[in-house]
Amino acid sequence: MPVAQSRAHLLSQQPQCPKIDYMHGVKRSRESREAREAKKQREKSRLTAYLALSDDVLARKANREWSKDAFDLTSRLLSMNPEFYTVWNYRRNILINGIFPSSSPIEINDILSDDLSMTTTALKAHPKVYWLWNHRRWCLENVPDGGDDADPLAWKKRNWERELYVVERMLDVDSRNFHAWNYRRYVLSSMPVKRPEATELAYTTKKIESNFSNFSAWHQRTKVLTSLWDSGKVDRTSSLRQEFDLVQNAMYTDPNDQSVWLYHRWLIGSGEDKQRIEHEIQVIQELLDEQPDSKWCMESLVHYKQLLLRNHSSSLASGQADSLTQQCLYLLTQLEEIDPARRQRYQDLAADVNISTPAQTV
Amino acid sequence: MSSDEHKLLTSLHVQYIQNLGASKADLTYHLTAHLRMNAIYWGLVALCVMNHKDALDKDEMIEYIMTCWDEEAGGFGAHPGHDAHIHSTLSAIQVLTIHDALDRVDIPRVTDYILSLQQPSGVFAGDSFGEVDTRFLYIAVNALSLLGQLDRLDKDKTVTYIRQCKNFDGGFGNVAGAESHAGQVFVCTAALAILDRLDVVDIPTLGWWLAERQLPSGGLNGRPEKLEDVCYSFWVLSSMSILNKLTWIDSEKLTKFILSAQDPEGGGIADRPGDMVDVFHTIFGVAGLSLTGYPGLDDIDPVYCMPASVIEKKGLRKGWKALPRRTA
Ligand SMILES: [Zn+2]
Repeated sequence: MPVAQSRAHLLSQQPQCPKIDYMHGVKRSRESREAREAKKQREKSRLTAYLALSDDVLARKANREWSKDAFDLTSRLLSMNPEFYTVWNYRRNILINGIFPSSSPIEINDILSDDLSMTTTALKAHPKVYWLWNHRRWCLENVPDGGDDADPLAWKKRNWERELYVVERMLDVDSRNFHAWNYRRYVLSSMPVKRPEATELAYTTKKIESNFSNFSAWHQRTKVLTSLWDSGKVDRTSSLRQEFDLVQNAMYTDPNDQSVWLYHRWLIGSGEDKQRIEHEIQVIQELLDEQPDSKWCMESLVHYKQLLLRNHSSSLASGQADSLTQQCLYLLTQLEEIDPARRQRYQDLAADVNISTPAQTV
Repeated sequence: MSSDEHKLLTSLHVQYIQNLGASKADLTYHLTAHLRMNAIYWGLVALCVMNHKDALDKDEMIEYIMTCWDEEAGGFGAHPGHDAHIHSTLSAIQVLTIHDALDRVDIPRVTDYILSLQQPSGVFAGDSFGEVDTRFLYIAVNALSLLGQLDRLDKDKTVTYIRQCKNFDGGFGNVAGAESHAGQVFVCTAALAILDRLDVVDIPTLGWWLAERQLPSGGLNGRPEKLEDVCYSFWVLSSMSILNKLTWIDSEKLTKFILSAQDPEGGGIADRPGDMVDVFHTIFGVAGLSLTGYPGLDDIDPVYCMPASVIEKKGLRKGWKALPRRTA
């Protein structure tokens, strides 16, 4: 479709913001006045066509016209500008008020399938346009029952399964795409036949193993595991052991990777398990001995030692609280040196360590 | 690189913003009509922070906003003829508040419109077709507060939803279950500040997560292991100033990063040095600089992302702290 292509070219100069669709990562180039004028001339006919089409569609919308003609015009306009949310709204209203009432369920299913295909193409060019993801949700949620005499959910199943496939391809292209991960969670929770959560756990393993820095996958893992533990489908104790092994492996592979340390902190949580904290302190200490400048080793040691002091002070050996306190203070001084940008935070933490330490230890 | 790039090029940025409306012969101008109302707000607040509020014509702006009123829905669209959306509605209310022209709005109607978008879970939808996001929840809370209508909101239900979006790392996502993201941290923290419910925040953990957003370049990213971007200067710094943790990053290095993303010829600020500028990164770059105490700028209120004097006058100021304003 030539219109879509020219639009894709145009928008390639205008990628999307994680927060709001705006300029990102487009190199600045200084155009001469002549070049700018020439571009304006080239764009002129496209601009005239766009404005005429836009006026036509908005006028029909104002007249509450729900015709097939108007529907086709919205397709054209949206291929030129997929962010024109008003036109997406109008398109859905044409379907609801004009087209669906006179369509059979199979026709409705076909129309919605077409819209899903149309937006798949657009998503490849604009993976972060909210309005495209929104329209897909609406389509999926409006697929009628039917498709097979034996299985009235056949259409729904087919569409939702295909949706999961689409979102996986999006995550293959950009494994941190925030929209795609959210959309994935939405699809998984809305499918007529839910997939077992163990499958999702395996998916996060695959994503993590291909890139330890993929915090989106680690995050997803925290959610899936919590649910598996809460439902009793997975034994928490043995699962935790496996998770500590996985994260230790990642930690040793790249000790500077923040994602891994965040996940480790989630595993320790509020620190009820004294033995586990002590074991992890030992593992991290060994890594620090190998990598004496590792900020994340130090940061984590301070945090876990403070957890021991805070939660398990009554079962510490005599003098141990004192030495843990001194170790925390020493690590914080080192952190100030190797990570000066965050110096004030380390100083504030040191002040807290001093305050929360009983006077006898001084 | 000239030494100019280490200073804020205020007059160039003012010109850049003034010229934004003069590009009506460009296709891009029309293709971004769905952001026009937001762009007016971004431009105006950037001008206010740079002490050039009058660089855009006030009456023209107010008249334009009133032509974006969607009578059927009872909210503002992004442009005349566009449907009402909660985001453009907030931008309209913010601009009218700055210009002391809220009397132009049918307050009961627009309040009904905003409240009608709250879902049973407590989150808000962006419009009648229902995409939900904590961004829209913040927008609703901010707008209702500016309109003096916060009493009509079910605050407990609203806070319950924010709580569901809180993650173990102290941050917040855009819906329950979603990954923490600096933009969503800002909207959730600021909404909680307006609702006087900062007790929901795990301040040491979130402060840590926010401080770790600073990269060796001085710039801030929005999530772990991602690239820095000028717009996060505001999402991260505003949250830090609400939590009173602005000293936990190196603001001098951040200042240099923001200044290096200016276009020294055409004005405006980009996402990163050497990229194309836009008004979105211009406001959030300038707002970030204001919070770090950059000399000569006016104070910005990090909760409402509006001039601090406007919010103070309405008696809505919360307990945030920016860095002291430096003298040049
Ligand atoms: Zn940005």
